[in-house]
Amino acid sequence: MTAPHKILVIGAGNPDRGDDGIGAMVARRLAQLLPADIAVLTRSGDMLSLIDDWAAFDAVFSVDAAATIGAPGRVHRIDLTAGALPREIALTSSHAFGLAEAIELAQALRLALPRIIVYAVEGHCFDAGAAMTPEVAAAAGVVADRIIAEIATLRQEAGEVAMHA
Amino acid sequence: MATKTIRVDYLARVEGEGALDLEVSDGRVTSAQLRIFEPPRFFEAFLRGRSYLETPDIVARICGICPIAYQMSAVHAIENAFGASVGGQLRALRRLIYCGEWIESHALHVVMLHAPDFLGYPDGIRMARDHGDAVRNGLALKKAGNELIRVLGGREIHPVNVKPGGFHRVPHPRELLPVAEALKRASELARDLIRWVATFPFPDFTADYEFVALRHPDEYPFNEGRLVSSRGIDIDIADYDSEFEERHVAHSTALHSVVKRRGAYLVGPLARYALNFDRLPAAIQALAREAGLAPVCRNPFQSIIVRALEIVYACEEALRLIAGYEPPDAASVPLTPRTSTGFGCTEAPRGICWHRYDFEADGAIRTARIVPPTSQNQPSIEADLAAVATAVLDQPDEAIRDRCEQSIRNYDPCISCSAHFLKLSVHRT
Repeated sequence: MTAPHKILVIGAGNPDRGDDGIGAMVARRLAQLLPADIAVLTRSGDMLSLIDDWAAFDAVFSVDAAATIGAPGRVHRIDLTAGALPREIALTSSHAFGLAEAIELAQALRLALPRIIVYAVEGHCFDAGAAMTPEVAAAAGVVADRIIAEIATLRQEAGEVAMHA
Repeated sequence: MATKTIRVDYLARVEGEGALDLEVSDGRVTSAQLRIFEPPRFFEAFLRGRSYLETPDIVARICGICPIAYQMSAVHAIENAFGASVGGQLRALRRLIYCGEWIESHALHVVMLHAPDFLGYPDGIRMARDHGDAVRNGLALKKAGNELIRVLGGREIHPVNVKPGGFHRVPHPRELLPVAEALKRASELARDLIRWVATFPFPDFTADYEFVALRHPDEYPFNEGRLVSSRGIDIDIADYDSEFEERHVAHSTALHSVVKRRGAYLVGPLARYALNFDRLPAAIQALAREAGLAPVCRNPFQSIIVRALEIVYACEEALRLIAGYEPPDAASVPLTPRTSTGFGCTEAPRGICWHRYDFEADGAIRTARIVPPTSQNQPSIEADLAAVATAVLDQPDEAIRDRCEQSIRNYDPCISCSAHFLKLSVHRT
């Protein structure tokens, strides 16, 4: 297997809607910690434009909030290479095309997809203007550390440069 | 007497959260209320006390789909208040960035949000499996519009390069060359889009709307013009309050706008087209006729054709502006704040977006008023729903619900702008 080397990290969600800001929070943290050749984006709402962006990458890490199924702050890792997003993990999006829909559309159009790994953090409150739930905010560091470790592994497998972090 | 309730817990393919209640009595729709329960967002209050310089970046946050509309109405209002005029290439660049917003917003709505209604698909993803080329072309159109906004605005969502008096930075002509190439391709794709949507089955429905739009002496309107209607209104934008008023209604967190003397009115593509057909280039008029459109279209379901037509227009207008572009000497004109009131009104993809600001001597905002297109269209949406539902009351609840949702999407409503989930309840007695 050829190891991925062009990597994109997406922090998805609306930072002004409580726990929906976890994706942006992790992206901000990773932008400071990851090497400059790893692209870090934040996206609020429309994800359709990502369909084209994906084509330029070998691996995409996406961090998003998920509707709670029992434990705010609990982190789920879903490797979409291994299958679709599980139905019980509903990524929250107030707009028409979130990450899950963008992936499904790309599949319907038979577009090439990179390896996509989703980190979904269960949220509790998505009200406009609400503060982030402490348990969710506390997960930011955990998710960032796990993504840094995964990227380091991917790059070591490819014999690439050492991580800065 | 039987009572029946149809409920749609989430209306997909609109921007925002709302609900619809239909009251049916003796085989007649007696009430249709579009309830917008998205929490008030208080942007007008946020703006109080903030500098005029911050305004474009604050109002851009009202909407991720049409931020340019809010930025443009705001900067025009600011310049109006401070007695400044922005002309020449800066004016052309504003028109150019607005073309980008029309292209991306219309392409998303026409292909991904509205077309599935006509072809019997639950969403754009399912439609993509059978109409892959149409969806790919729609995405390419959207990308071309987004790229125009990115080059001129700094980024495609919530752009940061617009400022009162002009721009923070203007592009070098070579930055626009690849955009122009993409727009040439986009214009061809948009022509194909018109031909495709013109073949859709349209419900036999028309309404006697009072159309309201901007009208400019020479141009199909984006940024400037007088406020005119199909029933004789012809006023300066500063006189909006003389003809229109906003009303609180119990079932919506968005204000309803009406013509004081008559009631509901319609803004958006159908209104712009009807009131400005003669301002379209002959080639675009010919495209409209080929698609079966008369100079005035009163069938709201055919708004999908008008949007596709406006995409072609925006592509061609953008190409014209790029061909004539010469970088201006300065990226903006200087402004001197003063105690004043200013008005701005521009044509968002969904219709006129009207702003009024009162400024302190140092340019701080004392009061702000923003009237977005969707809140203006709410009474017309409700009137359409009552009429459309009445025509299909003998059909199964599922069919009534589908037709109502399609009817709402005729307006490409941006509920988030006006005050997001839409629940549909039909109460029969």
